[in-house]
Formats: sequence, structure tokens, C-alpha cells
Amino acid sequence: MLLNVNGQSLPVPAEWRDETLLNVLRESLGLVGTKFGCGAGLCGACTVLIDGTAARSCLLSVRTVGDAAITTIEGLSAAGRLHPVQQAWLDAAVPQCGFCQAGQIMSTVALLRQTPRPDDGQIDAALSGNLCRCGTQQRIRQAVKMAASGTP
Amino acid sequence: MSGSASTRRRFMLAGAAGLSVLVLPALGGCSSLPVIPKRPKPDLEDALGWVRHLDGRTTLYIPRVEMGQNILTALKQIVCVELGVPWETVDARLHSTVDITRVRATVGSESIKDFAVPLAQACAALRDALARGQTQGQLEVTSRPLEDLRSLQPRSGPQAQLPLEQGLSIVRGAPLYVADVRRQGQVFGRVLRAPASPELASTPNQADEAAARAVPGFVALVRDPMLTAGGSVGVGIVARTPGALDRIEQALSLAWTVDSGFEQATIDSAIDIDQRLAAGPRRSHQVHDDPVDTEGVWDVDLRFDVPLAAHAPIEPRAAVAEFDAQGRLQLWVGSQDVFFQRDVMVKRLGLDAKQLVVHGQRVGGAFGGKTICTVELEAAVLARAVKMPVKVQWSRAQEFQLGFHRPPSSHRIRARLKNGRLQDWWHSFASSHILFTAAVLPTWLQYLTNVIGDDGVARGATLPYRASARRTEFDLARLPVYTGPWRGLGAGPNVFAIESAIDECARQVGSDPVQFRLDHLTDARLSGVLQRVAAASDWKQALPSTPETRRGRGVACGIYKAMSYAAVVADVEVDVATGRVRVLKLWCDHDCGRVINPDQVRAQCEGNLVWGLGMALIEQLPVAASQVRATSFLHSPIPRLQDVPPMVVTLADSSQPPTGAGETAIVASAAAITNAIRDAVGVRLQQLPAREAALRGTMPRPDTAASPSSAPLRR
Repeated sequence: MLLNVNGQSLPVPAEWRDETLLNVLRESLGLVGTKFGCGAGLCGACTVLIDGTAARSCLLSVRTVGDAAITTIEGLSAAGRLHPVQQAWLDAAVPQCGFCQAGQIMSTVALLRQTPRPDDGQIDAALSGNLCRCGTQQRIRQAVKMAASGTP
Repeated sequence: MSGSASTRRRFMLAGAAGLSVLVLPALGGCSSLPVIPKRPKPDLEDALGWVRHLDGRTTLYIPRVEMGQNILTALKQIVCVELGVPWETVDARLHSTVDITRVRATVGSESIKDFAVPLAQACAALRDALARGQTQGQLEVTSRPLEDLRSLQPRSGPQAQLPLEQGLSIVRGAPLYVADVRRQGQVFGRVLRAPASPELASTPNQADEAAARAVPGFVALVRDPMLTAGGSVGVGIVARTPGALDRIEQALSLAWTVDSGFEQATIDSAIDIDQRLAAGPRRSHQVHDDPVDTEGVWDVDLRFDVPLAAHAPIEPRAAVAEFDAQGRLQLWVGSQDVFFQRDVMVKRLGLDAKQLVVHGQRVGGAFGGKTICTVELEAAVLARAVKMPVKVQWSRAQEFQLGFHRPPSSHRIRARLKNGRLQDWWHSFASSHILFTAAVLPTWLQYLTNVIGDDGVARGATLPYRASARRTEFDLARLPVYTGPWRGLGAGPNVFAIESAIDECARQVGSDPVQFRLDHLTDARLSGVLQRVAAASDWKQALPSTPETRRGRGVACGIYKAMSYAAVVADVEVDVATGRVRVLKLWCDHDCGRVINPDQVRAQCEGNLVWGLGMALIEQLPVAASQVRATSFLHSPIPRLQDVPPMVVTLADSSQPPTGAGETAIVASAAAITNAIRDAVGVRLQQLPAREAALRGTMPRPDTAASPSSAPLRR
């Protein structure tokens, strides 16, 4: 079994084929940027892109992914340059504890891909499933708008 | 903190290793008591051990835990400014138990207050030594006045925003947190427990061990008395993959015996302040104790109830433990107290402290919840049993059901008013414990602590307003669910109750809520934040309402730990048909003395405002069938993006010594919001969180019908 992750074809060992995509990414492949937060798809910390769409990797059996293109937070800056959303997150000094932010960033990347200039309602709809306990919501909103205005 | 104290101390400077001091603390003895966190005050000798300088580069081991307050950034800033070196030449690192001498838990918003000055003093001494070309030998260090420390001087004008230390790693998804640690040959562990609060005695019964062992990936079944948490006897399982743990747990189908039981009503009744008042007017612990006539008529008489609530950090607890062939333990933790974890391992596992290193990782949110040893001991016990590195990752359900929480509290506040002034104040309340948490202390020991009360429960109960007579007192009740420190400790609930009642007093006498407070305040710094937030929000401005939606404004203020000050104004909108509340905007003025990093102080204020919003409108941890009923964020929601309004935070321009910002604004945020609801629809919220049903179909009180935001309530 192979997974198409961040443009690479990576083998999934036999022992890991009954696991969630999140467990395989984190523990078998070592891509720990995607976080476990609730295991029920309710917090968004485990968000990855599957063929460009935001998905909760804690709910997906790795068997169901097939050869779909998976992008994790590590894949956003694979070429060494930060993705505009990552840069906006730094420019707005969004992170406090930082634990939810990979998921927030991945949901934002998915949003801007669909809707390059989202209004507040669209931002709410796209990110309401990404929880942050530190209270960075105002800065997340600001960073989404900064990234949107900088997106070519 | 005194700026003029001039202590001379001597330090040994290492030669080849550069400038550093490393002192390993002595071991404590064993006893049958629980392990109690040690709380040493950091001193200059400690501080020199935090900084090492070699070949033009400086390494800073921060003496705090990084959990989102971005203290890495603030302390690195102190090092850079005090030493006069570029940002890129300083490596700021989190500490393990062998990097620095013991430091106390990262709690109580004191990282800048108590650690910034010793660090700055140490860096000033190093700067002078380096300037003299000295890299070894003995160095005499003079503690200099605050005014002579460059890093603590107030800076005027706009400042360039510093990069967040570890910010790049966060946005790139680099390994930072405890669950990101992966060891060679690592396996995965879990401790199964009865579906009951760990405060109750519970034991495992029959289980299908053969079926469990047949599950692919099964490694071990571990029965060890060390897996007992409170009254809960646990059964450990270990597997090659995390998912196999679920299958083993299912196959094992453990049955449990649980001793006794409780429901939500059990808890409500235990802390019901009116039941207690009916039994007698006197409570066990006094905050203010002026003689007050408890029998006469009261002008304001209100009951407030604040429920059990979770910390709900997005990072659930996790730990990784690894023993080597010589029996030495490495433990990776996401804990607010790295040294306390070592103390517990030493005592519970019978290890020598030298056989043990505890590595502190960046913590994915803690808020007071990650102060005790739970998952860490589980990982160590399982690792010892299977002789392999073990990672234990708590589920969200375990977070809710095995953690400790903000205690529920129940308040009765009565006030008498005379000639527009507060005359008598009687605040009586009951809460479960906070500092003397049942999650650590057995019943008998907690009972002994009742002699001294619980400062965490009392926090924020001091009335900052002038009155002829003040009586504030409380009872403590051990509950069948664990309670303990939660952001702000008692100050959130206590100041919510006080500021709600004061608001009602202002309305009773027809006074403007800001002016009424100013008329009664004795602390100039509290008056200051209140006046500035009133100016920033254009307080007297009226908010237009429609027949469908009622808008209102509220204000509240408070002092945290006698050191930091906040005042908040909230604008809200209530949908009359649904009762739904939307917070439209929040303003906060904050005074924590000299500010090191304004942007991150503002970030802490923003977080506190959101916590107050959650407390007022959203958060409650339900209990049923002898345990916390919540197993996911569905049952215990926290604020979402769309709940959070624009927030304007202003910081006082102060030359006072730096204090703390991590838990201050929460004291004013919840009450500002409920006071705004009171303004909008005339309903005084007495039970948190606000229930839409309580506000549905509400109309403004007759005296405010024309415009709920104008006179006469705001003369």
C-alpha cells in the first residue's frame, strides 16, 4: 500500500493498514505537524488536504484514501519558501500555544483555493470547525484576510 | 523585585564550556504523603544558570514552560536587549530537569513578574564580564537597580514586532509537542478505567484476556498498583499501533465494579449556597469580616451560579517514557511543572533523581490543567513493564473524565445602599477546592487543609469597592468530580458575581455603571483602566435597538492577584425571538506595569476576553451517571471563530514593576458581557452560561423601553 503524501509516494507498512490516516501520518511516516486533538472530527487539529479539499484525518481509515493527493502542513513549504498563508500567520503573530494552528492553516489554504477573497461569513463557515482554545480567533481572521489579499 | 537592593554574589565561570552555572539540586526524602510541588523563588544564582555564552552565541534555557504565553519570545527579548546582541545569536530552549536548577511550576501569571528581573540581572552581569574580555574565573555580580537594566526600560513610540520564537516551527508543523516525540521501537499504551469519576473507588472484574491477546499488534496487558489514580484501579494495555489499542480494549470487554454513585443534582446540592445559608449565616472562611446585619432588608439580593467547566486545551495530555538497560528513565512531558514530574517519578517509581531526565516540551495549551502528574506516570509504568519506549496519548473523553476542572461555585450577594452609596456588602459563597485539589490530596489530607482555607477559591473575592461594612466568606466542599486550578482560579467566578451585583447596585440608585464604580474605588490603577476603557469605547454612546434585536453595553473591572488590572466594555445584541446573544465588540484596558512585549501582552488579553465570553455564554461540563458526561466537544463546547467579536486592547503606559497578564482580563470579560445583556433586555443572568431560553421573548424593562442604552440607567 502506497500513500501519495506531499508529492511523494510513501509505503504504508502492513501493521499500519488498519489505522486512521492521522495515525499513519504521525506515527508511521513521522509527519507530526498534523495533530490529534479530539479523534471525532470536532476540533480540526488533524486537518489535511485531500485532492485540495480540507479533510479530518482522524476520521479517515487509511485504506479509504487510495491514491488521492494528500497535503499536510509539512508539504506547504516543501520548496523551502513559506506558503502565503503560513507567512500571514507569522505576520499577524497568530500562534499562542500553536497546537491548533496547523489545522487552521490547512483549512485556510483549502478555503482560499475555493474562494480567493472570502468575506467574514465565508471565513466563519470554513473555519468554524477549527477550534482554538488560546483565543487567537481575531488574529486568525486577520491572517486569513492578509493571506487573501496577498494571494495572486 | 526591589530595584535598589544591592546584593553582591559570587559566581563560578566555566572556562571551555563558556559562561554558565549549573547546580543539581539535592534529593528530597520519601514519605507516605502525596508529592507536593515545591515553589522556590528564583534568585540570581539560578538565573546565571539559565544563560550560557560561547563563541559569540548565547543559549538561553528558559526557566518557564512554554504553553502559548510566548514566554520564549519575551525572555529571549530580555537577553538580546540586556546583552546587546542580535536576535539570531541567541538560541532560546525549553528546559529539561538537567539543564537548569529546579524552578517552580509555570502558574499564576508570574513568569515576567518573578523571572524577568533575575534574568536581566544575570545578563547585565554577563554583558559586563564579556566587555572585560572575561570568559572564566570568578565573577562578582552586583544586583543593580531596575532603572539600570536596559531590557526593562519603558520604550516610547512604536516598536518593531519581534518574531515569535518557535513561530516558524509551528507554521511548518515541525515537532515541538510531547506527542510529536517518536522513539526507536516505540509502542503505544493506554490505561483502561471504570466509566466513573476517579474520585470513586472502582476496580476491574472479569475480562476476555485471550481475545485481547489475539488482536494483531497486541504487546502486553499490564496490571500494576501504580496504575491506580485516585480510587480508580486501572488496567494497562500496550500495542504496536494506536488503533490496535481500540481493538484490544474492545476485545478485552472489561467489566467494572464502581463504589457508590452521583448525578448532577448531587453536585448542585453540595454547593447550593442558599441551602447553606438556611442552615446558618456563617461560612467557614472569611475574606472580609466586618459586622453586618444579616437579618434586615436588602436592596440587592442576588444568587449566582457558575458551573463545572473544562480547560479543554486542544492538545490532550500525552507522555513518552523510555527506560534504558541500566534502568534510567527518560520522560517527555507536556507539563506546567517539569520538576514536579521528576519528583513524582522519584517517589512513585523509587528512582534516584540522577537516574531520570524529564524533558519539557512545548505545551499545546494548559490553563492550569497540566499541573499534576497523570498520563506521565501511566507512560512510565507501562514502559517499565514492557521494557520498550511507550507513548500514552489521552483521548478527548479521558481529558474530560479523568482531568480536573473549574469548580462549580454558588454565590449569594446582598447589598444595602444609602444616598447612592454602597453601605453593607455580604457575599457568601461555596465552591469546591482549587489549590488543595482532590486530584492530588486524599480526603483526610484535604480535610486538614480546611483549617487554612484555599487561596485559589478566595482569589478575586476581595471587594475593591468602598462600603461601610463588608463581609465576604466561603465554604469548601469536596465533590465527587475533580476540581482544581483553571485560568484565573476563583477570580473569574468571584469577580463575575461581584461585578454583576455592583452593576445592579448602580442601576438601583440610577447611577451610571462606570461612575458608580469610580465613586467607590480606592485603587487608582483600577480607576485608571476603567476610565481609559470608558474613553476608548466612547462609553456614553447609545446603541440603536430594533424590535427584533436589542442591543446593550456593559462594563466590568477587576484586580488579579493584587498586581494586575483590567476593565472591559462589551456590546451585545440579543435576538428577542430566539434569545440568542451575539457579542458585537469588546474593549479592554489592561495595566500590568512595565510591558516587555506589548503584542504578546495584547495576545494574552485577547485570550482572556475569549475565555470570559466562553464562561458567560458557552461553557459547562455536564455530569451524569457518576462521572463527567462529556466525551467530546459536542457535549462541552468552547468558543468558535464566529463567536469572537472584534476586540480592542489598550495597555496602560506604566512605569510600575512588571506583573502578569495571563489571567487578568478574564475577571472582567464575563461580567461585562452579562451586564451588557442586562442593559439590552433587562435580564440579570444569574446562572452561567447564558441559556437562550432565559432570554427568549424578553423585553427591555419599562424604564429603558425607549432606548436600552440611554438614560436613566446611564446618567
